[in-house]
Amino acid sequence: MHRKLMWRWVLIGVVTAAAVFFMWPPDKKIHLGLDLRGGIHLVLKVNTQDAVRAEVDDAMERVRVDLTEKGAPPASLQRLPEGNGFTFRPAPNTPAKTLDKVIDDRLGEFSLSRGVQITATLKPEVARAIRDIAVRQGLETIRNRIDQFGVAEPVIQRQGIEGDRIVVQLPGVDDPARVKDLIRATAFLEIKPVVRAAPTEESLLAAPNNQLPEDSEVVTGDIEDLEGRITGKEYYLLKKVSVVTGRDLRNARRSQDQFGQPAVSFTLNPEGATKFSAYTGAHIGDRMAIVLDNKVRSAPVIRGHISDSGIIEGNFTVQGAEDLALVLRAGALPASITYLEERTVGPSLGRDSVIRGLRAGLVGLALVVGFMLFYYKGAGINANVALILNAVLLLGAIGMFKATLTLPGIAGIILTIGMAVDSNVLIFERIREELELGKTVRNAIDLGFQRALSAIIDSNLTTIISALFLFQFGTGPIKGFAVTLAIGLTISMFTAVFVSRSIFEALLSRRAKATTLSI
Amino acid sequence: MRFFHNTHIQFMKYRWHWIAISTALNLIALGLIFFGPGFKYGVDFAGGSQLTVKFKSDPDAARLRRSLENLNLGAVTIQRFDEPERHELLIRLQSAGQEGDFSARMITALDKEFNAQTASTRLNLQGVQAVRDELVQADPDSVGGTVEDRRAHYEPMASGLLKLRKEMGILNGPADLDRVKELSSNAKRYLADNARFGEFSILAADSVGPAVGKDLRTKASYAVGFSLLGMLVYIWVRFKFQYGVGAIVALVHDTLIALGVLSLTGREIDIPTIAALLTLVGYSVNDTVIIFDRIRERIKLERGKPLIDVMNSAINQTLSRTVITSGLTELVVIALFLFGGDVINTFSFVLLFGIVVGTYSSIYIASPITLGVSNWLEKRKQSRRRR
Repeated sequence: MHRKLMWRWVLIGVVTAAAVFFMWPPDKKIHLGLDLRGGIHLVLKVNTQDAVRAEVDDAMERVRVDLTEKGAPPASLQRLPEGNGFTFRPAPNTPAKTLDKVIDDRLGEFSLSRGVQITATLKPEVARAIRDIAVRQGLETIRNRIDQFGVAEPVIQRQGIEGDRIVVQLPGVDDPARVKDLIRATAFLEIKPVVRAAPTEESLLAAPNNQLPEDSEVVTGDIEDLEGRITGKEYYLLKKVSVVTGRDLRNARRSQDQFGQPAVSFTLNPEGATKFSAYTGAHIGDRMAIVLDNKVRSAPVIRGHISDSGIIEGNFTVQGAEDLALVLRAGALPASITYLEERTVGPSLGRDSVIRGLRAGLVGLALVVGFMLFYYKGAGINANVALILNAVLLLGAIGMFKATLTLPGIAGIILTIGMAVDSNVLIFERIREELELGKTVRNAIDLGFQRALSAIIDSNLTTIISALFLFQFGTGPIKGFAVTLAIGLTISMFTAVFVSRSIFEALLSRRAKATTLSI
Repeated sequence: MRFFHNTHIQFMKYRWHWIAISTALNLIALGLIFFGPGFKYGVDFAGGSQLTVKFKSDPDAARLRRSLENLNLGAVTIQRFDEPERHELLIRLQSAGQEGDFSARMITALDKEFNAQTASTRLNLQGVQAVRDELVQADPDSVGGTVEDRRAHYEPMASGLLKLRKEMGILNGPADLDRVKELSSNAKRYLADNARFGEFSILAADSVGPAVGKDLRTKASYAVGFSLLGMLVYIWVRFKFQYGVGAIVALVHDTLIALGVLSLTGREIDIPTIAALLTLVGYSVNDTVIIFDRIRERIKLERGKPLIDVMNSAINQTLSRTVITSGLTELVVIALFLFGGDVINTFSFVLLFGIVVGTYSSIYIASPITLGVSNWLEKRKQSRRRR
């Protein structure tokens, strides 16, 4: 054997070995897409307007408290309909100095228009920063929750650098409803002083004057019987200002209440603990409400001085308590979330797709292999070796690049099987033509490969170009298809031209003066 | 053995006939698209929610429809998915321009309608952890201890059960519990008595809001537009401008006919369909380029021969390759169409006739158009010279 020929075989051997190394065992090395292994793909939108509104509400409340403390409660105070600012009318007797001080202290991030009414709008760059932070915090919170939930290989990304969208991909999740709830739970925990409680809203506000006090709000909660069934609704009048919130939490975990029912207990960080112990110490005998996402979970009476821990009771299952503890630990979302896109594939459908895709692929491959042997006889073996090698190398490349194999990807592979033989067909037809013109075997093979080459390169490259655009603009599974198609075509150029040629060369080196060729 | 050996078919002779037929086909396709049935967009582009549901037995369609229409979220369409004996349905809800998580509400509505019995353990709708925790709470084996101890005990049982569901698609009833060897007899009895199997399981759920739907539409048209442009430029550079035009006209021809067939058959257009169209485009251009390559080669060898004759012999010389490759790819696509399952059925359907159309257009459209443009350019050059 020639040295040159030997090097060809060494190269082919090395490439094949590498491919097998990267693809074997396939169930470990080949990443299956969500559509094949089952799982959930979510695109969600962080409603950043919520965060902006919260900031505005906060500033509004501070202005009200400040002015009230200085003896000049504002005559009116209202949020703008767009939500990015508010207007207020100071009491007529407010000293200019007091007003200026409050504005200086509290409204640095707002642009003001002053007249009888003062309109404060959040500066656009500040609003933009708030929105950006909301998305980043949202991303972080969701990541924490998913991590704690324990999903292998999750993908959690912001879509676009400036966007308010987040993409979440969770392979192998078998309970999508639960995961969706877990991600979306705002989990905003507040502990607030209870002014009073009543079974209806009217009776709650009847005393003293049928009016909702400025510093309070009405929040509802469910009433449950001993077995956890909801039997009614209770209305609570709560102070607006919280004693502690979810931000003061250090930890939360599932535990049990005194009846052995699942509950969530939490501990506070040092800062929260200071606030909490001061408050509980001073208000023994009063009630405080544990409010989660604007719903009163429970409103226990403060029996004694509590320093740094508490318990949330209520109609929980073991799992419900666990999920709540998880989202509390992971932190609250800074803004609510809307699902824009959801794709869930159950594991059984994915499994079914794999089986059918493989079956279709094998049938297709068998037909092609059979035809090539029948039509090109000896040379058909060349083409088939090249074809099977093509499939192995393609899987190896998918494993090496950690590309994801999707259902359209399998279709792409099956299609490259069809197209990979094309190069060999081109070459073989050309060799036949040259033989017919009376060329020697040696010459015909050389010319066949040489002349078919430009057609092979041009035709494959045009298809690869369309695969590139497909990759650029495609989503999820389509990207997988584009990747397998592009890789497959590149590999087919190697196998059809180089590998198939090497087999011919090996044949020729054994029979140097060959006059016939089985083709 | 050789097919199409040494043929001398006058492909170019009747080029006007073929161009006329193709123009007519394209006009019909445009008519179907704009004045006929138009396109049926899938959830990807139209927005809305779609559930793939497996029922134990075929449900009452009217009841199914009513339960979902009562949600007042939009129009409901129900169609069969896959073979009838699998009792699988595709249920679509076309929500009118709203964002939101409608698939969850659809599942709840179906649950209420078809599963009269309420239960906290719903074996066909919950995951491993939920089933495990239900067993942990009930503790049929009286393991006692901490929640963690009980979890360790019941976890394999729940996994075994869910593995069976994964294989079967739906658990039919208590009899299926016997097939889960991990289940202890007490757990089996507990689940048979207390857990609910229900009438259906969810195989897939897709929800696409209008914002994302719009995005996807834009992206899809960019993908198609740019890949056509990219190929035009490539062929222009590697061959000549007129070849690029010929190839692109052939591709637009193929795409239009494919879209017309999709419109006619009422198949849904979604992302995989777009992928199929692009594959078809790639495939067809592949064919065209190989014929062009041969024309390029022949022009160099036979200087002075009229382009029309060169084209004719080039098409004849590549004919055997064209037929063999198309035939083989068609074989593979037929396998895909017959055995690939419903998920990729539209994909293989597009390629099934697309390959035939693509092969036809490479021969009868791409070269004649190139010839026409070539002659036109030539005439213009001459008249300029005269002036």
